[in-house]
Amino acid sequence: MKFTTYGRSLHDLNLLKDQGVDEVILEPKSLSRFGKLSAEEFISLSQRSRELGLRVLLEWDILMTEDVFVACAPEIQNLLPYADAIRVQDPGALHWVHTQTNKPIQFIAENGNHNLKALESWIKLSEGRIERLILSIELSKNTIADYVKKLPVPCELLGFGRILLFYTPRPLLSSLVPAKVSQNEEFAALGESEESPHKGFPIVENQHGTFMFHIKEFCLVEFAHELKEMGLTYFRIDQRWEVPPKLQTLMSLIHVFNLEQFESFKSEYSQDLMRGFYLVNKTDVLFPKLKNSRLQKREGNYVGEVLEAEKSSHLAILVKNPKGLKESDILKILHPKGETFETKIYSLKNIALEPVSKIPAGEIAIIQFVGGVWVKSQVFYQDE
Amino acid sequence: MNKPIKLPEVLAPAGSLDKLKVAILYGANAVYVGGQKFGLRTAAENFTLDELREGLSFAHERGAKVYVVLNSFLHDKDLAELPEFVRYLEEIGTDAVIVSDLGVIQTVREHSQIPVHISTQASALNVHSAHLWKKAGASRIVLGREVSVKEAGKIRREAEIEIEMFVHGSMCMAYSGHCVISNFTQGRDSNRGGCAHSCRFEYSLEGLDTLEKKKAYFMSSKDLEGLRVLPEFIEEGIDSLKIEGRMKSHLYAGTMAKVYSEALRFYEQHGHFLSDDLLRWEEELKKVSHRTYTQASLVEKAGPESIFNERENSSDGEWKMVGPVIEATPEAGIILEVRNAFNQGDELEILPFSGEVIKIKVNEMMNLAMKPVTRTRPSTLVRIPFVPGVEGMQLIRQKVNA
Repeated sequence: MKFTTYGRSLHDLNLLKDQGVDEVILEPKSLSRFGKLSAEEFISLSQRSRELGLRVLLEWDILMTEDVFVACAPEIQNLLPYADAIRVQDPGALHWVHTQTNKPIQFIAENGNHNLKALESWIKLSEGRIERLILSIELSKNTIADYVKKLPVPCELLGFGRILLFYTPRPLLSSLVPAKVSQNEEFAALGESEESPHKGFPIVENQHGTFMFHIKEFCLVEFAHELKEMGLTYFRIDQRWEVPPKLQTLMSLIHVFNLEQFESFKSEYSQDLMRGFYLVNKTDVLFPKLKNSRLQKREGNYVGEVLEAEKSSHLAILVKNPKGLKESDILKILHPKGETFETKIYSLKNIALEPVSKIPAGEIAIIQFVGGVWVKSQVFYQDE
Repeated sequence: MNKPIKLPEVLAPAGSLDKLKVAILYGANAVYVGGQKFGLRTAAENFTLDELREGLSFAHERGAKVYVVLNSFLHDKDLAELPEFVRYLEEIGTDAVIVSDLGVIQTVREHSQIPVHISTQASALNVHSAHLWKKAGASRIVLGREVSVKEAGKIRREAEIEIEMFVHGSMCMAYSGHCVISNFTQGRDSNRGGCAHSCRFEYSLEGLDTLEKKKAYFMSSKDLEGLRVLPEFIEEGIDSLKIEGRMKSHLYAGTMAKVYSEALRFYEQHGHFLSDDLLRWEEELKKVSHRTYTQASLVEKAGPESIFNERENSSDGEWKMVGPVIEATPEAGIILEVRNAFNQGDELEILPFSGEVIKIKVNEMMNLAMKPVTRTRPSTLVRIPFVPGVEGMQLIRQKVNA
C-alpha cells in the first residue's frame, strides 16, 4: 500500500521524500477547493517535486458552472505540463481532461458512487483513461474489499483527515462579518446548533464557496494493515488543517501499529477521531420509520380511503379501485394505528344519499358506520 | 411572419396520485413522481405499482407525461432490486426516469429503453458535463440550481441535449448530492432519501473575527421563484421548467401548475408578459406557504441576499387550504373534504383549473347526512351549494384570519 498526501511548501516536499512517499497532490488556488498555490508557486513546487522523484498530482476538484469552467480553462492549460496526473470530481472536468489532454485521470468518486456498477461505468466512460478511483469513505470495509478486488484500476481511500459534509458555491460567512474585515479572502468559524448534539463544526468560506466539516476527523490508522491486506493501493493522509502537521507520527503508526502510541496520539490530536461507516453503513435503517407503513399498503385488493367516519351514522369511502364498490362486498379496514376491522356492506349510498348497488371509482361510497374506524383508514376487499 | 414560440414544459411535483391529478388538471405538461423506493423523498406518500399505472394512464389521456424518480445514490443491495421495477416502469409506459447515479443509468439501459434524465442531484453544471452524461445515455439534463439561464442555453446549444431547470421551490444550499450532514450526524443517508434538513437549523457561529458569537440560519436558502425570468427561459430554448416540492400540499401543486402554465400560455399568445396578469400571478405564488423568494442564480450568481436567515415557519402563510372538492353536481352540491375548518358565512376562493378564482360566501352548508351545520370540522365532508364551473379535484382556500 502506498501513501499520498498534499504538499504546500518546499518543506512539505522534503518531508514526503523523507517518509518514502512517491507522489504529492498539489492544489492550485483557482482550481482546487482548498488550494493555496498561485500558478507560479504550483510550477515551482512541481519542478522541485520532480527533482525529488515525486509524481505530481494536480487537484482540480472544484465543481464548476459553465462560466467558471471557461474561466478555469486557461489556468489548467497553463499548468498541464507540470502535472503527471489530474484529479477531478466534476464530470465536466473528467470529460475535458479525457478529450482535451493525454494526462492520466484520477477520478474522485467520493460523493455517491456506492455501487460497483457506477464505478465500473466511470472507467468505461473514460475509455481507459482513469488510472485511479478515489472511493467514498461511506463504504464499509467489506464493500471496499470487494471493490478493490474487482475494479480494474487502483483505488485510493482517505485514511486520515477532515470529513467534508457540505459544499456550496454561495458565500455564507462573509456577510456575517463586519465590513471592516470583509476584505479577507477566507473566513473560518466553528458552528453549533441546538438542534444537533454535535458542537464545533469547522466552517470555511473561500473564493470557491462555503464548506462545512464534521467535528471529528476520519481515521483508519488502526485498520491500515487490514486495508493493505485487502489490496487497497493508496492510503491518503490529509493534514492540511493540522498545525503543525502530524504526518511523521501517522506514518510511523501506520507502518508499525502500536495501540498505546495510538491512544497517546489521539489524546494529543487537535480533533476527536472517528472511523465513520468503515465497520458498517446502516444509514438506511431508519427509513421505514419515516412514514406510516400502514398507510402505504395500497397494492392489489386496495379499495380506497375513509374520508369521513360519522359515529352511529356512516363511513364515507373514496373509491379508488377501478372495480368500484358494490353491495355485499366484504371489506377489511386498516386503521392508521394498525388495528383491522371487517364488515360486509349492507347499506350502500351515493353522495346524494340514494341507495345504489355499485359505486364506481373516483366517487364516494357511503356505507354503514363501523365502530373503531377512523378517517384515513385504508379499505381493502376481503375476499382476494 | 413571426417565428412560432417554443414553450418549455411545465413539470410539476406529484407526491401522490391525487397530487398528480391535481397538477395535471391545473395545467402541468408533465409530473415527476416516486415509487416506494429509489427516490429521495422517503417520507412522502409516493406511488404504489398500481398507482403508477393509474397515474400514467390519467396523464397520457390528457396529453401529459410522467417521469419517475430513481435519483438516489444506490448501494449495491439497492441496485439489485432495481431491474424488476425498471421493467415494470417500461411496461406501463413511463415517459422517462430521473437518475443521478451512473450505476442506475446503466441498470436502466440494460433492462429497458426508457429515456434517462439526469437528476439535479448529479450536479451537472457545464457543457463538458453535459457531453459526458449524453455519452452515458442521457436524453435530458436537469441542471444544478447554480447554473444561470444563460449558461443553460449555452449548454443546450453546445451539447445538443434537452435541458430542464428548476423554476420554483425550495432549494438545497449545497450543491445537490454534495451534502452528507445527515449521513454523519443523524445516521440517515441524505442521498438515499433521509435528509434531515440540517441546513435549516439555526447555528451559533464563533471565531468569525468578531468578539461575540453570532446566531444565524446561515445555511438556509430562500425559495426559488422564476416567474419574471420566463422570457429568458424561452429565449434560451430551455425545454422544461421544474417545480420543486413532492412533499408539498395539493394546494401548492395546483397553484404552481396553474400559475406557470397560464403565464407561459399568455406569453405564447402575446409574445411578452407586459400585463397586470403578471402581478396577479405573483400574488398567487405568494398565497402558498413559502420562504422569502429569490431568483437565486437564474440571472446572477446567488449571493448573501439569497440566505433565508429566519426560523422555519410551518404555517400555511396568509392563505390556508380549506380542502379539495371531492364531487360537484347540481343535484348533490359541492362535496368538500375539510382539511381546515371554516364557518358558515365565511368567504372562500375556489381555484378553477384555468382562469380567475371563483369567490364564494358560504351562506349555507350541510353535513353528508344533509343536516345543516354552522362550523365544519377537519377530516369531515361538507356539502355546500353548487356553483357552475366547479369540478371534482378543484381546490378551495381561505384567507387566514379572514
